[in-house]
Amino acid sequence: MTASTKQDAPSGEAVANAPVGRPRQSRHDAVTAVLPGWLRVVVLTLLVAAVTIPVGYILVASFMPDVDVANGQIVPDEITTQNYVRMWSTVDLAGGLANSLVVSGIVAIISAMIATITAYCLVRFAFRGRLTILRGLVALQSLPGTLLLLPIFVLFSSARTYLDITIIGTRFGLIVTYLTFALPFSTWVMVTYLRGLPRELEEAAMLDGCSPIGVLRRVVVPLSWPGIVVAAVFAFLLGWNDVLFASVMTRPETETVAVALQVFGLSQEGGAIPLYGQLMSSALVCALPVVVLYMIFQRYLVGGLTAGGVK
Amino acid sequence: MPAGAVRQARKAGTTGRPLWLMAPGGLLIALVILVPAVLALWMSLLQLDQYSLRTWLSAPFVGLGNYVEAFVGSRLLHSVWVSVAFGVLTTLLTLPIGVAAALAAHNAFRGRALVRSVFLIPYVLPSFVTATIWRTLLQPSGAVNESLSWFGIDGGLWLIGDRSFWTLVLVDTWAAWPFIYLLALAGLQVIDREAHEAAALDGASWSQKLRYVVLPYLRGPLALAVIIATLSHINNFTLPYVLFGSPAPRPVEVLPMLTYTTSFQTVRFGLGSAMAILSVVLIAIPLFIYLRAVRLDTGNRAGER
Repeated sequence: MTASTKQDAPSGEAVANAPVGRPRQSRHDAVTAVLPGWLRVVVLTLLVAAVTIPVGYILVASFMPDVDVANGQIVPDEITTQNYVRMWSTVDLAGGLANSLVVSGIVAIISAMIATITAYCLVRFAFRGRLTILRGLVALQSLPGTLLLLPIFVLFSSARTYLDITIIGTRFGLIVTYLTFALPFSTWVMVTYLRGLPRELEEAAMLDGCSPIGVLRRVVVPLSWPGIVVAAVFAFLLGWNDVLFASVMTRPETETVAVALQVFGLSQEGGAIPLYGQLMSSALVCALPVVVLYMIFQRYLVGGLTAGGVK
Repeated sequence: MPAGAVRQARKAGTTGRPLWLMAPGGLLIALVILVPAVLALWMSLLQLDQYSLRTWLSAPFVGLGNYVEAFVGSRLLHSVWVSVAFGVLTTLLTLPIGVAAALAAHNAFRGRALVRSVFLIPYVLPSFVTATIWRTLLQPSGAVNESLSWFGIDGGLWLIGDRSFWTLVLVDTWAAWPFIYLLALAGLQVIDREAHEAAALDGASWSQKLRYVVLPYLRGPLALAVIIATLSHINNFTLPYVLFGSPAPRPVEVLPMLTYTTSFQTVRFGLGSAMAILSVVLIAIPLFIYLRAVRLDTGNRAGER
């Protein structure tokens, strides 16, 4: 990213080159704008509407009685906060949220640590197989989860049969799985980040007698927080968003919130319609931690995404 | 060994290459990704069901039997077709939307920060939340059909029957266009101001400018975005699973859903593994192009020491 902090400037250089005293902003716009004004307005209006109308309706619907949401009532007759009260007892939403927070939080921290260390080795040292590992990091990101689900399940079950260690159904099993799945991307993010760091500081520290591990701890990590944050947040999201593994590898007590949410969608006993109002309020609660994370780290995340090139 | 030599050796060891630092990551990836991947290959050659799974080491070996059955006696080919059609169509739909959004949001205007945040919403929402929301909106008597009825249109069924395929494409398009938008926006940042100025001096119309100035710059980033997006659509399990439930209606029986249903609902684990292996073969094609395209050593002055 450029050193320029002003968001409007496309690059620091363009700003520096602009003659002083000219109304830079408007001129810059006239020149670099591609779409004519009317078309820009049309595109922006359509897209903002496409996003805000459904999301806005869901916000409103989360305050409507279950039956009204099910009947597609657009203008609410009745506004109630009951959904936000009842949803906690309909399913174990709090337990799900707690499990998701614990699992994803631990995954984020450990995977960012391992990714930083691994990326440091990959970027700063030359060794045989380095390019193969880099290529592997990219390739592993695209391996479908459905391929690994069954063998991981069988391996973890075998750990119980042969080693008497219970992994299936525990948070530990989920953590190890998500942690590993997050590593290729997290490491790739850190590789692209560390490449951008100047070597000089590390070399100076080496000359002062710092070991590589000391350099990593005292020089690389303090300089890499933006990259580490991106790696950690994406690892967190991987854990938070997963349904596939959580649906097979959890017990009711260790269920993540992604699984707990599915219970609302099922028809109630006696063929009654699902509790759509509560479903909407709990879906929004599930999205909340993720939205907060993005709001806090938005600047880092967008830059990190485009550098890493993958979601 | 003299003390000096020891110190020398230790110094060489520590100032050298502490590659053992990569052991934790390497070990995890080996244990949780590579070994299971090989295991999946092995299991695809076995006759595995809920009884033989417990003693999978001694399960009957059936060779390529599962693969033959996948092609001849299952809906695999149908699923491959659905997956490819879904992945390609969704990418083709998100591409112009994302590029248009980036072009429109690139230049400063009042409220741009807000608009940019709004554009991120579909991207930020977890897939299972997006799917849950749309599943509710698209119920037979849900909000979408209710709104359509205001215009005298009978919305009909979105979540079952032939139309479910288009529902999947549209919902995924809604969720995925911001990815293209973000990468296109990043691509727009690097266009030289001189190129814009030259185009303006030549009196180029906006469509000419788009075609001859902007799009050539975006070709690289967009090609990458297209491959990554297609791969992630084809691998997407959460969206169809939460949107339609399992087993999925046939028009949306994408490969990950078929594999999941075969393994965990009809408990044909061997057949499911064979399907999973075949889906890797399918994604290997775009993945290969991606690996050729991505520059592994960009701007790395350090590595080649």
